[in-house]
Amino acid sequence: MSDKKIKNIFVQGKIEPAFIADSIAKHSSKTGIGGHSIFMGQVRKDEIGGKKVAAIEYTTYEPLALEKMHEIREAIFEKYPLSCMHVYHSLGTIEAGEICLFVFTSSAHRKPAIDACSEMVERLKAELPVWGKEIFEDTTHQWKENI
Amino acid sequence: MEIEIISFGKIAEFVSNQKIDIAETTDTDNLKIHLETLFPELKAIKYKFALNNQLVQANSAIEQNDILAIMPPFSGG
Repeated sequence: MSDKKIKNIFVQGKIEPAFIADSIAKHSSKTGIGGHSIFMGQVRKDEIGGKKVAAIEYTTYEPLALEKMHEIREAIFEKYPLSCMHVYHSLGTIEAGEICLFVFTSSAHRKPAIDACSEMVERLKAELPVWGKEIFEDTTHQWKENI
Repeated sequence: MEIEIISFGKIAEFVSNQKIDIAETTDTDNLKIHLETLFPELKAIKYKFALNNQLVQANSAIEQNDILAIMPPFSGG
């Protein structure tokens, strides 16, 4: 980890569909790419004990999360021949139906992009110090647990 | 000795960020016992420590003014 440059993956609030579209558009000049893979996480209106989830409020321990993210990113770049990889995770209150996670990988051929995207999503859910507080329509809450 | 504790997620609901005197405690294994005496709710929760922004994976020495994060299971994404 010589030229260590820590990228910030966190955005305040929801991830706008227009931002995602723009990210895709930015890759048209990278003509060595033959395949993109995208994962988007959306806040689900779960129903728990008769109460519906209205929103999830995300918080993080940022220094540790960014450090960990850097480590995962390096490992994935090492493992797969990727052209690029972008990750954005929301912080703050994200309402049901809104996008809270955007993972975007690109490679010359489809397989590495697909596999790297999937591995990134699994790893960040398991390893990043981020917490989701599920806020119900009646303003009570419970803490989300990743399965 | 005094250290700073910061907590996250559901743990932040009953452990506020604060400086605490940990008396003669000098490592994270013993600190766990100390904290569970101060905050009995911790006993019912799975959690991890980070010491000065490093995830604690094995018992680690603690020094004056260290920053200890107490973190419940992660649930991002």
